[in-house]
Amino acid sequence: MRDPVVEIQSVTKRYGDFAAVSDLSLMIPRGSVYGLLGPNGAGKTTTIRMIMSIIYPDEGKVALFGGRGDGKDQSHRIGYLPEERGLYKKMKVIDLLIFLAEIKGEPRAKARAGAQAWLERLGLGDWALKKADDLSKGMQQKVQFIATVLHEPELLILDEPFSGLDPVNTQVMKDTVVDLARRGTTILFSTHIMEQAERLCDAVCIIARGIKVVDGPLAEIKRQHGGSNLIVAAERSVALDRILSDTRLVKRADSYGNYAELELAGGAKPQDVLEMLVREGVSVTRFEIAEPTLHKIFIDLAGPQAQPAEVAHA
Amino acid sequence: MHKLAVVIRREFIERVRTKWFLIGTLLGPVFMGLVIVMPIMLAERGGAERTVIVLDATTGGFGERVSAAVAQLPKVSVTRRTVPLEQIEETATDLAREVGTTPLDGILLLTDNTVEDGTAEYRGANVSSMTDMRMLEATLRATVFAERLRREGVDPGIVGRAQIRVDLATVKIRDGKVTGESGAASFAVAYAIWLLLYIAILLYGVQVLGAVVEEKASRIVEVLVSSLRPFELLAGKVIGVGAVGLLQMGIWLGTAKLLVDNRATVARMLGQSGEAAAAVGSFSMPPVPAATIVIALVYFLLGYFLYAAMFAAVAAMVNTEAEARQAQTPVVMLLVIPSLLMVGLLNNPDGQMAYTLSMVPFTSPIAMPVRWAAAPVSLGEVGTSIAILLVTILAITWVAGRIYRVGILAYGKKPGLRELVRWVKG
Repeated sequence: MRDPVVEIQSVTKRYGDFAAVSDLSLMIPRGSVYGLLGPNGAGKTTTIRMIMSIIYPDEGKVALFGGRGDGKDQSHRIGYLPEERGLYKKMKVIDLLIFLAEIKGEPRAKARAGAQAWLERLGLGDWALKKADDLSKGMQQKVQFIATVLHEPELLILDEPFSGLDPVNTQVMKDTVVDLARRGTTILFSTHIMEQAERLCDAVCIIARGIKVVDGPLAEIKRQHGGSNLIVAAERSVALDRILSDTRLVKRADSYGNYAELELAGGAKPQDVLEMLVREGVSVTRFEIAEPTLHKIFIDLAGPQAQPAEVAHA
Repeated sequence: MHKLAVVIRREFIERVRTKWFLIGTLLGPVFMGLVIVMPIMLAERGGAERTVIVLDATTGGFGERVSAAVAQLPKVSVTRRTVPLEQIEETATDLAREVGTTPLDGILLLTDNTVEDGTAEYRGANVSSMTDMRMLEATLRATVFAERLRREGVDPGIVGRAQIRVDLATVKIRDGKVTGESGAASFAVAYAIWLLLYIAILLYGVQVLGAVVEEKASRIVEVLVSSLRPFELLAGKVIGVGAVGLLQMGIWLGTAKLLVDNRATVARMLGQSGEAAAAVGSFSMPPVPAATIVIALVYFLLGYFLYAAMFAAVAAMVNTEAEARQAQTPVVMLLVIPSLLMVGLLNNPDGQMAYTLSMVPFTSPIAMPVRWAAAPVSLGEVGTSIAILLVTILAITWVAGRIYRVGILAYGKKPGLRELVRWVKG
């Protein structure tokens, strides 16, 4: 039985007449890396703030760690890196980290030791006594990340964690997140960059305009919404062109002459295409059943073309 | 509760560690030292010998009598020079060149018109010295007065008796007891309390404003409110800054007392002559009753809480420090208005205006202690005023807390009134 760390049930949050989140439900199992995906303005940050009890839903409820207490009572078990993040510019790095751990309820001495260890680990050991303002932007980002994980949270919530990071820090952050996940930390992160989500997540929830489009384990979503895609490479021939334009088999072909990405027509199977290619004597150099990218699923479900379906949904 | 303590401690320590706290704390006593020593130095300067030439174009000995009277003034040496009326202007112009270069401070021009229509002229380097001019004018007026009576044939003996000075000693009665405070002392204490409360409430209130804007502008606030309830954050900030305020005021008042108690030594250290220093030492400082201090402190705290809450709400509505500086104006005006009316209040501390100002919650934190110091105020009135103030603080803090809670996470356009109402309701 999977034990939910976060459970959101039919949550709605309105600002005036505008519904930032409508009737959203999702469940984040313990130990998973969960992606909250959606275009800008989809309601990701609003959802995360409701999980943190920074704002409260108008309808529905949010349960953490099986239901006792809200995000404020449980805040010591959660590490939160908001999308808009900052530091007290005039404070010394070490004092700042200790303060942020202390308001999570950590004892001072433990916070100090932990902060020093993390600073060493991320290469900032010599900067502990410097003012936050004296650090480069990249270093400040590392400090913000340390503040998020210093109190050893069970649940890590990262809102657009990679936005604005340089490539080196992106790598450091990713490695650290993966390491924490391996050691059992549940991770929820929001992003609109699908490639990251695809590589990191076990499960995702895609939302658009405040409405859930799809959620569940990544593999399952791919199976259900991916459709059938083929990559075919073959010597250029009239027969090949004829097969690619056969609407009984191929719904859409992105052809480059001797290379094509195909989306199969409803009811057609990859084997049907292969059989036809062989029968027509096309000399095939590559035939691959491609797994759909999350990016494509996302565009299909939450992109501009998906609008009518969502209105129907609402 | 523990989290609140952590927030208070950070606010306090980070503030006390700044250069500005150190400079402000050190400069405060230096400034107060100057306030104490300046009058001494001015008195010293005033004590320097003034040399005045009386250009006498009068007839009948009036010029001599004026010269004699002016010579009676402390530390003034007078030379009388008689000139014909038609040459007086020329002579004065010649003498004017010597003013400032030779030990000559001024020229007094007297003609017969002085007695007739009361006009005289003084030209000098010290005309902007109010004290010098007031003394000179008083002397001249008295001499002209006597001269006119004499010309009407009044006995000079009677004239002399008619001019005996009256000194009105003022002693304050509080609760039916003679206090030993003089009227001037009460006034001085009331004035000092007004200045101190006004500066302190404004200074520390604006620091709360700065602290809230800093957290919002640096975007650390969202991390904070994920761990703290907004009210914990707000309360911690207000209490932390307030504690810094009390510490700084404590240091200032402590040094002020030390300086005042040892003022003769201080004056000597600042290079004053032994005689002047002794004079400073014997100058009596107005006694400040303990009750007045208690009232002032209570109202400082209440006034600070009221204004800090309002400043915090204003800060939560804006995005940057520059915007905050503009948006704070209405709140600052609430503080400035009673200050503008303060002169009227001091002149008539029992009047209707003084009573109203000491009851209206936005003005009472300054007006009531000032009234208390200047005139007898019943404890019942103080109680009513504090009760009104407390209720207002609760209401304002509640509203400010709700604006703060929404505002700290709202970036962008400043909210309109309708949106504010929604924040408060929401």
